[in-house]
Amino acid sequence: MISQIRAELLKIRSTRTTLGLLLGLIGLVLLFSLLTGLLSSAALLSVKENQLTLVGDGTIAGVFSALAGIMLVTSEYRFGTIRPTFLFNPNRDRVFGSKIVAGAIAGFLFGVVGEGLVLLVGTIILSARSIPFALSGGDLALLLVGTLIGSALWGVIGVGLGAIIPNQVGAVIILLAWGFVAENIIFGLLPSVGRYMPVHAQNAMIGLASAHLLGAGPGAAVLVAWTVVLGAAGLFLLRRRDVS
Amino acid sequence: MDPVVQSESLTKRYGSLLAVDNLSFTLAPGTITGFLGPNGAGKTTTLRMLLGLAKPTSGNAVIFGRHYSELDNPPMRVGAVLEATDFHPGRSARDHLLTLSRAVGISDSRVDEVLELVELKDASKRRVKGYSLGMRQRLGLAAALLGDPDLLILDEPANGLDPEGVRWLRDFMRSFAARGRTVLVSSHVLAEVAQTVDQVLIIGHGRLIAKSSLAELTARVGGSVRVRSPKLSELAQALHKEGIETTATNDHALLAQGITSERVGDIAFASGIPLHELASEGSSLEEVFLELTSEPEK
Repeated sequence: MISQIRAELLKIRSTRTTLGLLLGLIGLVLLFSLLTGLLSSAALLSVKENQLTLVGDGTIAGVFSALAGIMLVTSEYRFGTIRPTFLFNPNRDRVFGSKIVAGAIAGFLFGVVGEGLVLLVGTIILSARSIPFALSGGDLALLLVGTLIGSALWGVIGVGLGAIIPNQVGAVIILLAWGFVAENIIFGLLPSVGRYMPVHAQNAMIGLASAHLLGAGPGAAVLVAWTVVLGAAGLFLLRRRDVS
Repeated sequence: MDPVVQSESLTKRYGSLLAVDNLSFTLAPGTITGFLGPNGAGKTTTLRMLLGLAKPTSGNAVIFGRHYSELDNPPMRVGAVLEATDFHPGRSARDHLLTLSRAVGISDSRVDEVLELVELKDASKRRVKGYSLGMRQRLGLAAALLGDPDLLILDEPANGLDPEGVRWLRDFMRSFAARGRTVLVSSHVLAEVAQTVDQVLIIGHGRLIAKSSLAELTARVGGSVRVRSPKLSELAQALHKEGIETTATNDHALLAQGITSERVGDIAFASGIPLHELASEGSSLEEVFLELTSEPEK
């Protein structure tokens, strides 16, 4: 299992896809945090909740973690490497388990990059605009744990989603359409349902206190539940499906 | 000796399509077997079932007495190349092999060894994107050889290769089998493998049509052998004594019917007749193959 995990990590490192995702993450985090940090009024940015929203942009890492997880499975189908992969290790449970672990590791690291960058940019902007930092140590700890663990979970969700939908373009479209469109519609129309959806559970997890969101603890539990369900569904299908 | 591969009533059904139909065969160690049939005959599906990639609808296939997935370390026993294009284009050849070797604890130095063996050492750090088809075929082979296996399974390895590549592959298969190891190579063109294989399995519509040595196949279908000799009439007599029909050609050669070139050579030698030319007429073999695999008239 350890050796298969090493192999999966090498798959992530040995193409430019991961570098592309990392650059995309850095670009998007910079864009969001600069827009929020520079365009908001000083009065608005002095409020603790709005500062949390600013440094909460690190959760964008979750999208890229999920994409990395999707790539880890769907690239194998797209380019046919799933055949040699399963020939070398016909134990599909172990291959999938290793991808889960590799996806979680990659997701965690994406979270470190995203959150690290957003904290750096956020504190620079606040101090440059002479706005006092309103977040407590406890707020920051919850933010960090919520973003990093959440991002690792998104990596696993990506692996599960990729195994459910091995078509790369299909899986990416489903992820983006769900995360950026469908969930917001559901949350807007039916917040009591929408708050149990994964992106909103992630937002709850970092301590965002907007109306209708779950608490941090329940939010974490809900995101873990999504991860388990999608991972289990992915494994179930990966086991049954013939490799063409 | 125990068979290397044993297939018993192997069957695969996709909806209403019977892709593989009750297919039984065995492969003895040290042989090169051509797995032949037209495109769509069920060759690839059979190989996938042998290798645990697809589940049989019914029947059973074992390699070295076990299901592929139950072998202790499959790549150490079996090397397989199913598609020539199973690479991430953005990954280098060496990294591709490392993603496989590291998963099963094969040393990095073995990776460099096989790269050298398939003559890709100099290109191994380049992305596979820029590789020619021949290079990709050889990289696939390198992956199959990582575990130094006893059985090599190749699906249509000659597809798209230039004549030089086909010759390289042929030499390679021969040297692989020369050390008592076994090769199963599929093709839809008999001529590609006819010079290499010991026996052929011919399938059509998922069913086994024929299993025989190449010599038997030649004899059975009345293929002919072209032979020239300064003592042509004596040779014809010697062949007639063995019950073999001959016809003279107008360029002073004989065509012997329903016999292998080995047999003609042996008879000539036994009778002390020098030969100046001895050749199987390949086209007849190909005709037989087409005849065997073509759809019966309805």
